[in-house]
Amino acid sequence: MSQMPGGDLVEHVTCLGCGCSCDDIAVAVRGGRIAEARGACALGSSWFGDGRVPAIARAHGSIVTVDAALDAAATLLDQARRALVFLGIDISCETQRAAVEVADTLHAVVDGVSSSTVAAGILAAQRRGRVSATLGEIRNRADCIVFWGTDPAARYPRYASRYAPEPAGLFVPDGRRSRRLVSVDVGDARGPAEADTRIRIHADQELDAIAALRAVLAGRPLGGTELDGALADLARTLTAARYVAIVYDAEPGALPPEPARAESLTALGQQLNAVTRACVTPLRGGGNRVGAESVLAWQTGYPMTVDFSRGHPRFRPDDGAGALVASGAVDAVLVVGRALGTPFAIDAVRSVAIGPSASELPCDAAIDTGVAGIHESGTAFRMDDIPLPLRAPVPGPPVAADVMRALAQRIHTRRSRRS
Amino acid sequence: MTDRLRITGGAVYDPANGVDGDVRDVCVENGRIVASLPDDAPRLDAHGMVVMPGGIDIHAHIAASSVNQARRILSDERTADPASPPALFDTVARSGTGGTVPTTFTTGYRYAGLGYTTVFDAAVAPVGARDTHAQLDDTPIVDSGFFVLMGNDPYLLQQVAAGERDRARDYAAWLLGATGAYAIKLVNPGGIELWKRNVRAVKSIDDALGIPGVTPRAIMETLADAANALALPHPVHIHCNNLGLPGNVATTLDSMRALSGRRVHFTHVQFHAYAGGDGNPWASGAKELIAYINAHPEVTADVGQVMLGHATTVTADGAVEYLLHASTGRRWVNVDVELETGCGIVPYEYRDAAAVASLQWVVGLELFLLSEDPWRVLLSTDHPNGGAFTSYPELIRLLMDRAYRDERLEAVNHKLLAGSALADGLSREYTLREIAIITRAGPARQLGLTSKGHLGPGADADITIYARDPDIARMFATPRYVIKGGVLVVEEGQLRRAPPTHRLHVQPPYDEAVMRDLSVWFDRYATIALANYPVAPPRDAPVPLRAGA
Repeated sequence: MSQMPGGDLVEHVTCLGCGCSCDDIAVAVRGGRIAEARGACALGSSWFGDGRVPAIARAHGSIVTVDAALDAAATLLDQARRALVFLGIDISCETQRAAVEVADTLHAVVDGVSSSTVAAGILAAQRRGRVSATLGEIRNRADCIVFWGTDPAARYPRYASRYAPEPAGLFVPDGRRSRRLVSVDVGDARGPAEADTRIRIHADQELDAIAALRAVLAGRPLGGTELDGALADLARTLTAARYVAIVYDAEPGALPPEPARAESLTALGQQLNAVTRACVTPLRGGGNRVGAESVLAWQTGYPMTVDFSRGHPRFRPDDGAGALVASGAVDAVLVVGRALGTPFAIDAVRSVAIGPSASELPCDAAIDTGVAGIHESGTAFRMDDIPLPLRAPVPGPPVAADVMRALAQRIHTRRSRRS
Repeated sequence: MTDRLRITGGAVYDPANGVDGDVRDVCVENGRIVASLPDDAPRLDAHGMVVMPGGIDIHAHIAASSVNQARRILSDERTADPASPPALFDTVARSGTGGTVPTTFTTGYRYAGLGYTTVFDAAVAPVGARDTHAQLDDTPIVDSGFFVLMGNDPYLLQQVAAGERDRARDYAAWLLGATGAYAIKLVNPGGIELWKRNVRAVKSIDDALGIPGVTPRAIMETLADAANALALPHPVHIHCNNLGLPGNVATTLDSMRALSGRRVHFTHVQFHAYAGGDGNPWASGAKELIAYINAHPEVTADVGQVMLGHATTVTADGAVEYLLHASTGRRWVNVDVELETGCGIVPYEYRDAAAVASLQWVVGLELFLLSEDPWRVLLSTDHPNGGAFTSYPELIRLLMDRAYRDERLEAVNHKLLAGSALADGLSREYTLREIAIITRAGPARQLGLTSKGHLGPGADADITIYARDPDIARMFATPRYVIKGGVLVVEEGQLRRAPPTHRLHVQPPYDEAVMRDLSVWFDRYATIALANYPVAPPRDAPVPLRAGA
């Protein structure tokens, strides 16, 4: 942190506004509020805001102390027959670790955003594997970038300038001019306007097109349609490149993409690696979603939707949070983090929320915490599984990880008294 | 728990202090071994039992980003191996899942349950160090550290090209401190960077790697000299070029000769000890390799035994995993990592009906059985590559029990075993003293851990007590007592406590001038700010550098 007239400047701040996790933001702080997030894109600036967040705790409709809200939360969860712990966004890995501990102790189900957005890709990796690369490899090496049904400019505004295709890299010294930029437009999902090559396919032709590319790579002839010709050309472009990066948006909006896309592209990428080097990398949303998958993997062995009801983790990819609440299979919910994209109505069952703006949710107990990366330090994962430090440019409400550890402690105490 | 304990009546195997099965007391006070205690100190009766220092794993993969990538894709095998929380008295116990790549909590519990108290993760991408520290924080009971991957990082390769060996050493020192690592690890020196450029084979250690002056030989020399000049407690830890390929023993021997006279550790040498190739069938190269190691006291090694059964191959050596995927059609993960290293994963099964798997199993045993110095040829399975760490008791039985070993040998595929020393008959049986060396005292000595791996006064009170059993595998799989840092963690064969763990790391000094150069490099090529690169310093003090170096 450095002093500046009228305030402080906190440098090298990591932004969790999207999965790019740019860590070069300089946050100007005046009077305890964020005056400016220098270097951030519009999406990032909006994510930082002015740093003001609610800071209250509620229990059963009344404003109470954090301790009282923790007691109410612990009692509610301890008495539940079967609880769901839902990992929202804008929380650090430290908070996620404590949340999974709570789920383990409660014999609860733990799930998060991933099961309703990227489940198909997670399951595809379990069947087939992945061919991936970190963003630094793409920046420094990829001489052919294929944006598959996505233009990162909209949801990942600095992807192009920080990672690809714009920056010069070790093996692409002329930046954009060193790279071939390919856009595969899938239905209405268009790639970048400045692409060097563009192929248009109907949304319902996507898997056929990937299969056709794989056929060309395997040396089999295609038919004579215009699309066949374009795909054969694309296959030549890919195999002529030194390092291909196929980039798609794993979380393009409210609805997940074509469920077989991840697996088909992975198969294509694996096949390409027989000839040249290639990676297939998903774009991921913000708020440390990848961190939730990582923490779940190291603590339970599964990256999403884990059921502890038998006292140990079981993978239940077909019984995610939405289905469990809808069917009445759980009678209490603990939402940890910002409840974005929660695939259930939070007031459908008894509920506790601990996270940024939790007190605005219709819950039986709620504790506002800071936002990871704005008020809380810790660790978060970038979209490419790279762990980054979070700085806390401004002070805020109680730290989520501390609150979750306190909750875990209260639940342990209640359980050990009974045993 | 009391902080004093006298372990009485056990047969003590403490090779570092010349104790070979003598019946004597071991005294513990405040977490350390002491010479004596008052007579009224609490006693633990170990009559008829075997007392050893806690086990030390010099080479395993338990907490790297690559390991967690493997966990994510292994839902099938872990479903069959759920791990309920142990009944701990002192801390909240956690559940998990096992299989070949257990979850972090289960990893710690299972290592402790085998009498291991210290484990090193052998391959961590520098940029992933923060992930590894978090995973190790969630790995209970065992003290831990990790080796940071170098030798495929273009920044280092440019220093090698420029002959800037001092700067390479300063860079290595900075990287060790910035990542909180314990030692320098080389994997397929230069070969991972080549794989990223679609060059899939390193023919020899003198192959040019696309940059004038840069060869595997030059990379190995630079980093071996850096580690020794920095007086690191553990020398450079090398996974040679050409892992898993027939005929690779020539490359391995060339690497050893290239570094002749330097203190170096060569890892999982079983995977680098194959003869044949160039149209000839695979064969064992173990005799040739072990003869070199036996004759060169500056060389240390761990074996990387293959255990017949399920494994998960996970390595920074991406090219070899592509070959395994292409030849087996199995699931395959590849991750190219940030101008630093790579990552490849293929779940695998070593079947006793398979000729190559059987040869690999035999080669590892030959290396153990022909080794003349147990201090320098250490036990590992390159967990989970050759097999999971949970198979160590079975491996110890293979080494100690010739009748059992011969019976197992009968069952494997003999197609490639012509000329094999084991097939011709090796009668050696390891003694308990030798087991204590290859699993405790030897790793401690080669890691430069002066307070571990022995039971002399001042040592950490990490102790394992086994009930004797004619079934050696059962004896080593179920210690009666395990003491970690003076705390009884296994009692009557049950895991009972999970005391705090320590992080083993080094902080060697370096000339700050390297930071100016690194700052330019980061500005040009990195996607992370240099200021955000270092991890928070571990709370434990760094392990001292070697004295007098």
